[in-house]
Amino acid sequence: MKFTIKRTAFLNRLADVQRAISSRTTIPILTGIKIIADRDGLTLTGSDSDISIEAFIPIEEESNQLEIEETGAIVLQARFFNEIVRKLPEETMTVEVLDRFQTSITSASASFTINGIDANNYPHLPVIDENESFHLPVNLFKQVINQTVIAASSHESRPILTGINIVIENEQLLAVATDSHRLSQRVIPLSMTPEQAQKTYNVVIPAKSLIELAKTLEDTAETIEMMVTENQVLFKTENLYFYSRLLEGRYPDTNRLIPDQTATSVEFDAHTLLGSIERASLLSHEGKNNVVKLSVNPDRIKISGNSPEVGNVEEEVAFKSMTGESIDLSFNPDYMKDALRAFGQMDIKVKFTSPVRPFILVPAAEGKEFIQLITPVRTF
Amino acid sequence: MDIGLLHFDEPKRDTSRKIIHVDMDAFFASVEERENPNLKGKPVIIARHPKETGGKGVVATANYEARKYGVHSAMSAQRAFELCPHGQFIPGHFDLYRAISAQVREVFRRYTDMIEPLSLDEAYLDVTSNKMGLKSATLIAQRIQREIWEKVHLTSSAGVSYNKFIAKLASDFHKPAGLTVIPPEDALQFLRELPIEKFYGVGKKSLEKMHELNIFTGEDLYQRSELELIHHFGKMGYSLYRKVRGIDNAPVQPFRERKSIGKEDTYHQILRTEPEVIAELRKLTVKVQSSLSKNQKHGKTVVIKIRYADFETVTKRMTLPHYVRDKEELFFQAQNLWYEIGMIEKGVRLLGVTVTGLDPLTFENIVLPLWEAEASNKEIETEND
Repeated sequence: MKFTIKRTAFLNRLADVQRAISSRTTIPILTGIKIIADRDGLTLTGSDSDISIEAFIPIEEESNQLEIEETGAIVLQARFFNEIVRKLPEETMTVEVLDRFQTSITSASASFTINGIDANNYPHLPVIDENESFHLPVNLFKQVINQTVIAASSHESRPILTGINIVIENEQLLAVATDSHRLSQRVIPLSMTPEQAQKTYNVVIPAKSLIELAKTLEDTAETIEMMVTENQVLFKTENLYFYSRLLEGRYPDTNRLIPDQTATSVEFDAHTLLGSIERASLLSHEGKNNVVKLSVNPDRIKISGNSPEVGNVEEEVAFKSMTGESIDLSFNPDYMKDALRAFGQMDIKVKFTSPVRPFILVPAAEGKEFIQLITPVRTF
Repeated sequence: MDIGLLHFDEPKRDTSRKIIHVDMDAFFASVEERENPNLKGKPVIIARHPKETGGKGVVATANYEARKYGVHSAMSAQRAFELCPHGQFIPGHFDLYRAISAQVREVFRRYTDMIEPLSLDEAYLDVTSNKMGLKSATLIAQRIQREIWEKVHLTSSAGVSYNKFIAKLASDFHKPAGLTVIPPEDALQFLRELPIEKFYGVGKKSLEKMHELNIFTGEDLYQRSELELIHHFGKMGYSLYRKVRGIDNAPVQPFRERKSIGKEDTYHQILRTEPEVIAELRKLTVKVQSSLSKNQKHGKTVVIKIRYADFETVTKRMTLPHYVRDKEELFFQAQNLWYEIGMIEKGVRLLGVTVTGLDPLTFENIVLPLWEAEASNKEIETEND
């Protein structure tokens, strides 16, 4: 195998594939990156057995300045191969496999020779039937990911809750995540063929996979293709294949948890409310009880935190409008902060039913496409 | 003490409090003697006879007669038997000891509610202000000793001083049935004459180190600088520097926080199948949960204990990012721990479930009922079993 390529073009793809490679894997070959050179271009593969990423660099794309002198394949240690490529002096670089999988990397007068591994030892990625695929709008799907992963559990005690439940039916995609103290749900419309619209998919994708996927998605791409099998999902853009394992088990039915009644509704500017919560949580974080209290009255909304070990804080919160009954309740400010950040700068409504029932945050402009739910804290 | 730019003032002594330490004399053994007068004058060792247990037991207490042979608590019963072969080995009757301990505590409570029990047989009392309005702590100690005798026919030793540290040393000074009073003006002299191993916290290892440093008595300790003691003994050095100067401000804590709540069960019929184990775990978690809510506590760490048929005992713990209180969650965690380490083929004779890292339940994170449907299904399944 021998090829020459523009270094920055190579580095970008390398960085994508690297996302799937963990240095702490128990399978030694997975610390490596597989490179295949054929007549059409280069294929880079990385995997940690939960996520696999395959990137293609086509020869026909001239900006890559890719020339393949000899086809072939090799596996190289990902961590230092990446470092080497990053630090090479010239704009182009040449990779050549020599005897016994030794591989030389040269750029101008710099030349490295590193030990490679026979690519035949690299495991095979799953073969996924590409017939049953559908397209997702990239920008919206990235939003879906960023808005839901915050509510996924980071604790392995309930593995299924470390994932995002994605349900596709009736030409829409519903994503839900919950760690049992809060829940985030987002719905986006999909454009589907009548045939696709007949089908239903219900999968749980590890949040970690989706976080990595979101990072590889370029804003320039318009759509991403999604394919689902029994235990895998493949996301495909033009030159990138992203495989993830699915979580096994039944995701709890969360729809029944979202309250449909409202006793009190307050409209806030999300960013302003976030500022107040952040201040109130400064002390609660120091104390043992990470709890802040919200008192909602028609003329005045007050947030307060009391941590006997450190001190207390009180602030009057600016709000746009309030309807319904007065209410006092306490909650974990961290959940509130995560939820508010997911809204960014927009007007939101916070809807309460009771001090011991979950409350929800929704965009002020009505609609059910985005809901954040938080359970309050019962104080004694 | 000077550290870098900083100068620390010498610590000052607070002699305003009146503390009594009461220690029942050879408590368990004395109870047995009381119950069975034939034991009087014989060496009594509270432990199962090593011949019955294959040499496994540990001595809980020995009476003064047995102590003459070198028998002491925490010694293996086998060793005690070697030292004192004609000793009367008696398995402990702990329900009785607990009942008597409660009677003794009633005596204390006549004088103060500031009682800090250390175990069944000893407690600190703060009598600075007391229910009888008595000025003299010595008089209170005398009355308490007499009332304990009248009520339960057992002797106790008491120490009276201005802090817990000296009061405990004092109660140990004349035993049995002794009363030692160490007023502030005598305290420093008393401490300086004390052998170094009497200082609380000086165990076997630090004793060796003390001796290496030529520290044998309180006096030797007193001569060392604070920095030197901190250098050699860390936090204990800091505390010893103060103790030998008669400074110990630790308050009498009447409500010592419970650190854990657990339940365990021994099975006469060894459990040989997984469904049996799971069903027992469910029973235990229900009990633990109800005890947690009775005590208004919640904790983050779940521990299971398994004793196999061959007496091998293992424990495994799981610390969660949030408090567990809900019984489903508790059961789920206990079950997972069993799946992680349990070996059903070994046969199970004891199971225990404990929640530790307890905090008072001043707040509770409400949990979404995600698994409600699932849990009720499971209950139906186990009922069918």
